[in-house]
Amino acid sequence: MSGQSQRDAFWDRVYELAKENKDIVVVIADMGAPALDKFRTDLSAQYIDVGIAEQQAIALSAGLALSGKKVFAYAIAPFITLRCYEHTRVNLASMNIPVTLVGVGAGVSYDDSGPTHHAVDDLSVLRILPNLRIYNMTDSVMAKAFADISCGLSWPNYIRMDRKTLPSIYKDGTDFSLGITVLFPAKELFLVATGNMVHRALDVRNELEKKGIDAGVIDVYTFPINGDAFVETVRDVKQVVTLEEHSLAGGLGSAVCEVLADYRILKPVKRLGMDLSRGYCYKYGGRENIQSLYGLDTEGVVETVLSLEF
Amino acid sequence: MRLKNTEELKKKATQIRQSVLDMCYKAGTGHVTSAFSCVEILVALYYGGILRYDPKNPDWDDRDRFVMSKGQASVLLYPILADVGYFPREELDRFCQADGKFGVHLQHDVPGVEITSGSLGHGLGIATGMALAAKMDRKLNMVFALLGDGECYEGSVWEAAMFASHNRLNNLVAIIDRNYLCVTNFTENMLGLEPLERKWSSFGWNTKTIDGHSFNEIFQALDRIRSRKSAKPNVIIADTVKGQGVSFMCYEPLWHGIPPNGNHYLCAKDELR
Repeated sequence: MSGQSQRDAFWDRVYELAKENKDIVVVIADMGAPALDKFRTDLSAQYIDVGIAEQQAIALSAGLALSGKKVFAYAIAPFITLRCYEHTRVNLASMNIPVTLVGVGAGVSYDDSGPTHHAVDDLSVLRILPNLRIYNMTDSVMAKAFADISCGLSWPNYIRMDRKTLPSIYKDGTDFSLGITVLFPAKELFLVATGNMVHRALDVRNELEKKGIDAGVIDVYTFPINGDAFVETVRDVKQVVTLEEHSLAGGLGSAVCEVLADYRILKPVKRLGMDLSRGYCYKYGGRENIQSLYGLDTEGVVETVLSLEF
Repeated sequence: MRLKNTEELKKKATQIRQSVLDMCYKAGTGHVTSAFSCVEILVALYYGGILRYDPKNPDWDDRDRFVMSKGQASVLLYPILADVGYFPREELDRFCQADGKFGVHLQHDVPGVEITSGSLGHGLGIATGMALAAKMDRKLNMVFALLGDGECYEGSVWEAAMFASHNRLNNLVAIIDRNYLCVTNFTENMLGLEPLERKWSSFGWNTKTIDGHSFNEIFQALDRIRSRKSAKPNVIIADTVKGQGVSFMCYEPLWHGIPPNGNHYLCAKDELR
């Protein structure tokens, strides 16, 4: 599975499900994928293109869902989330309609396309909507599982996919129902990451191990965070470092701090992500370059962790 | 519930206007004038044998969908739904009250209501989804969407309009309550909507402009709506008066969202006898 992108793994699975269930439909806002070409050819009645019209994509999806259809509405991540945000708020969240939004291009995976195409604030604004749940993908194994999970939900959700093909770290059949997975346990420090930054956290963990620091890794892939499971996991470590390719304002790090506060857990947290307080990212030269500018490359994260007082 | 003739429908319209007035007066809030402009349209739909619905079975799969996109006029829909039997009339007395089930803007969980609305520009898009689903499932139910004219400023309305004609949703009927007034001003002073009918026509819809307070014209426009040869969706631009029924409220922007009280209430009540 490691050779397949999250996008293709996801749509391949939706295609299989839709072949068996004619009530599964995809609503596309001018966005493609090889698996969707197959979908359009073989299941044309279940393939609906709305053009570049994300508000219509959401409203149409709500109407279809109210008439018993299971809808996947798809576009580039910032467009299917932010362009039509109020439609999602009113049509999906407020009526609790089980439409699945699917966005490709998590973080800065559309690196050189610039900030219009970066999904760096979608987590912040979507995780506050009542009823809606976010599934942020770490690898392509998750893609398949999330397609299955989406078909069984009775509330809206947002599937957030990376544009780049990332290595698989999970095995087929993994249970993702907890919303978080402890990839490495720890007693000293937990690196808490989401999406592509889980892979970075694993690299950082290896580097820290070489320096004698015992760091664990938690993958958070569902928002709102499962507070019970999260607090149970981090209760006994001394520090938490959060890692996200996303704005620091309202993202994973914020969500972690909210959980700790609500559970009355006093623990030092260092949030690593994109500080957009001085503006969006108009830097180019590839994703790795952008990551290093925000201190999210392996070296940068290791340096920050080493600077923390233990 | 089906009424036999225009006289009965007119009586019903007056009775519904009285309910709206009383609900808003008691609650001290609500959009009386926005409701009054589309009373005849809703009375025709619910009492004139146009809509297919079953108050005993609100989720009946084959029901027609009535999507009230101008959710500020919920105070008109609620007394009608109570009157035809979706829920007890006593609930109307609890409009906007602490122990009530609904407030100023339309709420999807009230029996007989299809969507939550209040923010504008949503209903037509949702209606296209319902109409498309009916086509996919080879169902014969119709989808009616009531829009305010000011709502047509929203770009999403035109996204939906384009979608509906491209997908040949001739089971969809949009009715525009063309009362020419928004919150602060007349549409043509604020930002011209005209030529509105030609806009819809150029988006690929069958269009018809009628007097939205005339039952005859409403029925004529909806005649044989289920068996048209054309694959185009239908839009009826219903010329109406915001505040129709109470003379001092007509054509007055300041009455938007403000219920009459004191003498104003008594005068309005008097006019609606």
